[in-house]
Order: sequence, then structure tokens, then C-alpha cells
Amino acid sequence: MLAYVLKRTGAAIATLVAASIVIFIFIHLIPGDPIYVMLGDEATPEQVEALRIRLGYDQPIYVQYFYWAGNVLRGDLGTSIFFQEPVTLIIRDGAETSLLLATVTMVWIVALGVPVGVLAAIRQGTWIDQGLSGIAMLLASIPTFWVGLYLILIFAANLGWLPSSGYPSIFEEGGLSNLRYLLLPSLTLAAPNAALILRLTRASMLDVAKEDYVRTARSKGIRPYRVVLRHILRNALLAVVSAFGFTFAALISEAVVTETVFALPGIGRMVVQSILRRDYPVIQGVILVIVCLYLVINLLVDISYRYLDPRVDLE
Amino acid sequence: MRHSLRNLLSGAALALLAGLAPVTGASAETLRYATIGEPPSLDVHMGTATIAATIGQHMFETLYAFDSTFEPQPLLASGEQLLDDGRTIVMTLRQGVKFHNGKEMTAEDVVASLKRWGEFGARGKLLMANATSLEATGPYEVTLKLSEPNGAWKSMLAFPNGGPVIYPSEIVTAAAGEPIAPENYVGTGPFKFKEWRGNRHVELVKFDEYVGVDAPADGYAGARVAEVDAIRFIPVPDVGTRVSGVQAGDYDYAEFISGDLYGVLKDDPSVKIHLSGAPIFGLMFMNSKEGPLANNFELRRAIQTALNKEEALRVSVGEEALWKANGSFFPEGNIWYTEAGTEAYSEGNPEKAKEMAAAAGYDGTPIKLLVSTNYKTHFDQATVFTRQLADAGINVQMVVVDWATLLKKRAQPDQWDMFVTHHGNIPDPILLTALNDSYPGWWATEDKTALKAKFTGTSDLAARRAAWSELQALIYEQVPTIKVGDVYSYDIASPSLKGMGETTLIWPHFWGVSK
Repeated sequence: MLAYVLKRTGAAIATLVAASIVIFIFIHLIPGDPIYVMLGDEATPEQVEALRIRLGYDQPIYVQYFYWAGNVLRGDLGTSIFFQEPVTLIIRDGAETSLLLATVTMVWIVALGVPVGVLAAIRQGTWIDQGLSGIAMLLASIPTFWVGLYLILIFAANLGWLPSSGYPSIFEEGGLSNLRYLLLPSLTLAAPNAALILRLTRASMLDVAKEDYVRTARSKGIRPYRVVLRHILRNALLAVVSAFGFTFAALISEAVVTETVFALPGIGRMVVQSILRRDYPVIQGVILVIVCLYLVINLLVDISYRYLDPRVDLE
Repeated sequence: MRHSLRNLLSGAALALLAGLAPVTGASAETLRYATIGEPPSLDVHMGTATIAATIGQHMFETLYAFDSTFEPQPLLASGEQLLDDGRTIVMTLRQGVKFHNGKEMTAEDVVASLKRWGEFGARGKLLMANATSLEATGPYEVTLKLSEPNGAWKSMLAFPNGGPVIYPSEIVTAAAGEPIAPENYVGTGPFKFKEWRGNRHVELVKFDEYVGVDAPADGYAGARVAEVDAIRFIPVPDVGTRVSGVQAGDYDYAEFISGDLYGVLKDDPSVKIHLSGAPIFGLMFMNSKEGPLANNFELRRAIQTALNKEEALRVSVGEEALWKANGSFFPEGNIWYTEAGTEAYSEGNPEKAKEMAAAAGYDGTPIKLLVSTNYKTHFDQATVFTRQLADAGINVQMVVVDWATLLKKRAQPDQWDMFVTHHGNIPDPILLTALNDSYPGWWATEDKTALKAKFTGTSDLAARRAAWSELQALIYEQVPTIKVGDVYSYDIASPSLKGMGETTLIWPHFWGVSK
């Protein structure tokens, strides 16, 4: 087991180094220049040159990479060109929003996707199943920005029940009640993902239900709900639980549209804005952190298989 | 079991509702302004971003400020004396003006700030390049000597966008050519800097020791009274969210609302529309350094003749109340308004254009039109123009990039023949980008240089207006840039904001505003 974890960690580090090189090169390949964005429409060529030298962008790209990578190893992700603030601080601030949003969204996904998926599977082929599957398809297909804007219109602008946008930190004035700012965004983000988990739960339940041991259980006269809960669901959840890990990671990096519509200060919106501004240190820093997150979750999911399914041999 | 589940559920519902009840953002005296994006830096000397000027004007002040008729009035200055035909300007400063750090503003701070602006500032060279000396000639007296009179000096000292705001001398000296760091944002304005949290907000708070001008508020001039305790500028990039946010009461003010929403919002009682009094205008620049348009004024005029600006404005803006096909570089009623040359503004005549192009020796060489998708109006206008030019047999190839790429590409003369941008309202023609020889396009013909010297070399208003008329006529003749037309942007405010007035001069300001 230990050997496996060490081997996987080593591979993860190699992946990380490769990813950091790819990120660095790709970002610098995009045409455009942070200097012009910083100095504005009417900057003089002298101003541009002076800032370029100050930021070190007159150096060859590999020099810039080693300089950056060296700093990263010391835990310094650099300073944002745009905000003139350490990237680590910017990520820390955005990470609170992104992690909380992803967590609340996961609660919705688990609470809605799994039970409804089980129901659809139990009632396979009936109008309930078809209705639920239809709704799931609809939710998975409607664009998030549309859902988000309508939720804002109804619950914020018309009914006035919830705030329309923004998110003040729970560590500030308002405390945990600030979580209400995340209700509409999390529902928006949950809609398509819950629909996918619903479909996955249903499909995986139906697969397991065809297994011999389920037939055996039924023929032994075990009550139907026990067969569903203990024999089918428990095994069907294996596939679903591993999907949770990736869904969570995806929620962090894919929340851009939701964060934009709800004006949330998350890292998704931060990275997109930073790309538009060519704020290289922020883009590199955020993507690196997201890559790390994926690698860690990947590792955790692999290890968790061992516990969820004793048949899996990690060696 | 069932019973307890029901209890649990109803308890959860109650808790949820209790959490929903108070929907308020910051405290009642905080004015919340939804911005389209974030400023690159609030160091006003160094950049010309609109958002930086909008926020910055609450903290930093200039020696003069525009009143509602765009006439500069003393703000940090109390008056001036012109000697030697306007070559020597002696400005007297208002006494007892406090910086946010408690220090009193003196001539030393003014000299240091103006020098930095002149050396490193975005617009400083326009005035300070001709300065022979700038000195503190008394604790509250500054003397600026110019080699030539400059009729625009007061307007340039009053324009806060990329303008000469006054910082404490020690901050200016320490920063020199670098942007001033947020912790050193110290000015004399009615609001002072509190915090800038990237991606979240910029917050300014009331400056209790503010010493203002003893005159009624008029435009940006006169008294500046902070009625609210704080102003929070919050980036809300999506326009739909900015609108719903004001409707829901989460923001008090939201900027740059799109034209297609105007029809709905003007009749909506939950918002109040603030139309800008100062139009923004689209410009299509021509490359004077390289390529088929470099010295071919005839071909440029052919392009000008082919274009129908009403069509481009209708497509790109829509709502008729928000645009005006005006060929003058200044709106009607402005002292710089002139119709010189404007008969060529929007002919929209493809046949005539085709003949002119042929006479200019145009052989069908593709003309590269650089345009960005970040501004939808730019892209729409470029699309309409490309079509209109095709009708005149002029082969335009659109090079569509994002704004950051456009800014870089347009600095390279071999990358483009024309590019689309826009221009904000300015108080004096000298601030037009087209008049700046080093602005991309690099229009610097002898005729221009001579006329520009005539324009800046006098402080007599009538003579300056006459020279500007000639300059505008020259723009229509040599076509360094093509004006698309005036676009009036609009913002929305909560109806509970008091003191905003009906229209916005250039940038909305929130002294004298309460909620």
C-alpha cells in the first residue's frame, strides 16, 4: 500500500512539472501583452519598455520559467501584474468562494441526484422514470447563465428573498448567514451536474440489478427495499462515489460562468479575467493549483477504491 | 421516526427562512457601485482607464476642476496670474488643504506631483514637454514657465483622467516612474482609500478632515461634501446581473448598461437612468507608417466616402436615443463644436468611392482591419464597414483578436492597416489621440504639425477655435482616423439615491450624493 502511494505521488510530481512547463509555454504563446493592458490606451513606447524591463519580460522565456519555477519551489507564486499583490493571497481569497460554492453544490448534487436516480431506477420504464429522465436531460442541456439569470430575476429582483450577486466572506460581517449568497449560484451549478449524477446512479443501479447475487437475494425472499438499499445501491454507489471526486474538482474549475453571472469572487472568474489581462503570474498560479487539486483528488479516488471495493488490488 | 423527520424538516425550513430574511450588503451608509471591471491601478498619473478616473476622482484632486459647462474652475488652486503673454503661469494654492495622512498640502507637493506627471504620466508630456521651469515660488505659490504659450493649460490641469492629481511629495518622490502602491494612495479628496481586495471590491471611506472649496457644487467644481460614509466599487462583469442587482437593491448604482435594455429600463420604476452627457465615439485609425494606406490620402478618402455611419451606429448601438451621427469631434453646444470638413463624414456612396479608389491607384490589395471582440460595438461597426467597403470594391480583411492582443499588435506598424477603437469625451482637442504623433497610426504630416503649433501656440480662445476648425478639416482631408459617431452610454441608479442629477458630465461622482 505504502509503495503504491509513493509510486503514485512520484508520478503526480512528474505530471506537475510537465504541466507547469506546458502552462508556462502556452500562456506566453498567447499574443498580447500585460504591459499594454496595464498602461492603457495612450501609453508611450518608453513607458512600455520601462515596465517590460522592470517585470523581467525582456528575458528569454526559459530564463523566465526557471526564475518562476524556482520561486514556486520556495512557495512563492509571484506577484500579480495587475493587482500588485502576491498571487498566493489572491488565490487564498478566491479559494474560499470556490471551495464553499463547490461544497454547497455537492450537497445539492448528492441530495438530489442520488435519491432521484434510485427512484428512477426502481420505477424503470414507468412514466415516473421517463419524466425524471426527461427533466434530467432538460437540466443538463439548459445553459447555466440562463438558469442563473432567471433565478436572479425571480428570487432576487422580483421576490427579494435572496441576494442577487456577490459573496462577502463568512469570516467577515454576517458570518455563516453569508452562505445565503451561495444558494442561487450553487443551485445553478448543481442543475446540470445533479442531472448527470442522476443518470449515472440510475444506469449503475440497473447494471447491478442484473447481477446474479441480486437475483439470489430476491429468490431468498429478502424484502424488496432491503435488496435495493443493501445489495443494489451499495454496489452501484461505487461508480457514483468515484464520480463525486472528479465532479468536485470540475466544480472548482468550471464554475466560471456561474461566478461571472453571480459576480462571485472565485478563482474561475479570476483566471478568465487574468487571461484577458494577460496577468501571467495569476494564470500560472491558479492553473498550477487546479492541477494539484486534480492530482490529489485522483490519488484519493484511487486509494479509496481499495476501501470501497476489497477486490481492487492496488499493488 | 416520521414525526422526528417532520420536526427536523420544519426546523431546517425555519432556519433557512431566518437566514433569508435580512438581505443587506454592507451597512446602510455604504454606497455600492457595480463596475464593469477592475481598474489596473488607481495611480491616476500613470493610466487613462475610465474606471481608474471614476474611482480616483473621489480620493485625488487636481488644481482645477470642470464646472457643468466644462470651464475649469480652481479646486486645489485658488487663482492664477498669467505673465509674459501666457508663458509664465503663477498659481496660488488654497491654504489649509489636508492630505489623508494629515499633512497640509503646499507648493512642494504640487511641484513634485506635476513634475512626475510631466515625466512619466500618460498625458503629462502634452503640457510639460514645453515647460522650461516649474518651481515653488512660495509656500502656496507655484510658477510654471513654458517656452510657448499653451491655451489648453488649465483644461489639462483640470482633467483627472490620466491627469495631474496632487499627491504628497514624499510619495511622489518614492514612486517616481513606478505605479504608486495601494497603501500609498493618499490624496486630498472627500473620500480616502480604505482597501482594495482583488476580485471583490475597492472601498473608499469619508475623509472627515476634508477642506473643500467655499462655493456651491457645479459639475466637478465647487464644494465636495461626502454624504455617505463609504463607497464600494464592486466588479460585476455581467450586465444582466448589474441590472438585477440594482433592481433587487443589492447595488445603488451600476455602470455601462447595454443599449438593448434601454427600452425596458426607461419605464421601470425600480431604476433611474443616468444618461452620459459626454458621448464616447468610435474611431477607425489608418496606418500612416506602413502599408497601402500609409501616404495614400486619396485612397483613405475613398474609404471615407464608402462608409455610411448611420447604418453602423444603428447596428452597433440600436436604440436611437443612445447615438448621434455627428461628424464633429465635439458634440453640438460644446465650445469646440465645428462643422468644418464634416460634409465628408457619412456619404455612404459606393460608386463614388469605387471611382476614387481607382483614381488613387488601388489594385485590390487586401486592407487589414484590426478589431477586437471584447467591445461588441467595435466588432459590429467593423463588420458593417467591411461590407460597405466590399460594395465599393475595397477588399478589407478583418483581423479579429482580443483587446490585449489588439493593443500589442497595433503598436507594430506591419500588423495592420486600420484598427477600430473608441475615444472618451475630452475637454480640449489637444487631448485627442489622433493629435498625438506617437499614438498608433502615427499621423505626423507637415500640415498637421504646422496647424497643431498654431493651435497650441496661443491662449486666445477665438484663435484656438479657428485653428481647431482647420485641424478638423485636415482630419477629413488626410483621414488619419475616421469618426464613427457619438454614442451616449448610460448607467442606472436606485431611485433612492439623492443628488445625482439627471445626466452625468463624464464620470459619475458621489460627493453630494446621499441614499
